[in-house]
Amino acid sequence: MDIAELKAELETLHSASFGWALICCRRDRAQAEEVLQTVYLKILEGKACFRGESSLKTWLFAVIRKTAISEHRKNLLRKLRWADSSEQATTLVSQLEQPGVAFEKSEARALFQNALKSLPRRQREALHLVFYQDLSLNEAAEVMGISIGSARQHYDRGKKRLRESLGQTESAYGIGWRGKENPGAV
Amino acid sequence: MELVGEEKRIQALFSELRLADEQSVPSFAAVWNRAQSRTYRPQRAFNLSFVAATALLVCALVSLALWSRQWQRKGDALVSVPSVPSASPTQVVTVRQDVKPPTPIQWTYSHKSRALKLAARRQSLLLAANRKAEREAKAIASWESPTASLLDSPSDELLKTLPQLNRTVDELKSFLPSSPK
Repeated sequence: MDIAELKAELETLHSASFGWALICCRRDRAQAEEVLQTVYLKILEGKACFRGESSLKTWLFAVIRKTAISEHRKNLLRKLRWADSSEQATTLVSQLEQPGVAFEKSEARALFQNALKSLPRRQREALHLVFYQDLSLNEAAEVMGISIGSARQHYDRGKKRLRESLGQTESAYGIGWRGKENPGAV
Repeated sequence: MELVGEEKRIQALFSELRLADEQSVPSFAAVWNRAQSRTYRPQRAFNLSFVAATALLVCALVSLALWSRQWQRKGDALVSVPSVPSASPTQVVTVRQDVKPPTPIQWTYSHKSRALKLAARRQSLLLAANRKAEREAKAIASWESPTASLLDSPSDELLKTLPQLNRTVDELKSFLPSSPK
């Protein structure tokens, strides 16, 4: 696949890629944009090369995930080096506590986003890939670089935890959460 | 994937989130162009940590070279000290005069110069050992017992001297025991 062809494919996947980058960066828009840019740079420089071993989407998502993790590590090191972690932490907390940022308009969405943020990374990723990106568990496992069994576990645990988290917040607001488990869904 | 109950609810929430995200997606062209411009950006000629490591290495090498040179000079100075001509016959080791110590001009890092340096070092060690042995021999020769003074007596002079043949009879008589009066 030549670069022009790849560019056209990437353009169609751009929106989904940005959504995935957002989840990988704990919904930090600036960081997600930076990660996506780094991914495109890797593709342009040939550091990330698509060999057609999987679908382009799963390959791209795997690259985004790895890049986001390495960027996160770099940021942590930078924070440790310059000892401004306290400042960064307060901004992170304030972001978590104040969901009234521009794109979060509805209260329910804000609650949902906070509940999603409170999940462990792998659980959050599994849920996002299945529900947001409409990938199968097999594809999600491929993107996350884990076995299908592990992906299923993360998915189930994430769902349970999300339900509990949403149930707690909704009961606080006087709304009931009633849903049935469907073990054969996936 | 068939969804029921809570899964539908989660799906709906995710769909809502996706719609919200789609409204704020940065344009592909902008992100792509920025990435493209980064590829053409000249790479930084040097890495700060790499420079620091190189500087440290160079410093270490220079100090090592200076130290080794100084050490060699010290060895050479020891060799060039003239050996004290000893009057006593207690010289234990004889210094080989055929090995010439290397002059500073001739110092090269070849095998030959290294051999010369080694020979010079060996010679300096031999000289030092020789001088030490000489000192020890002198000390032994001049040793005196602390009780030696107790053995002194007034007749020591008579006992230590011998009568000479060309003396007069009167003088010889003085050596004889005094006759009873």
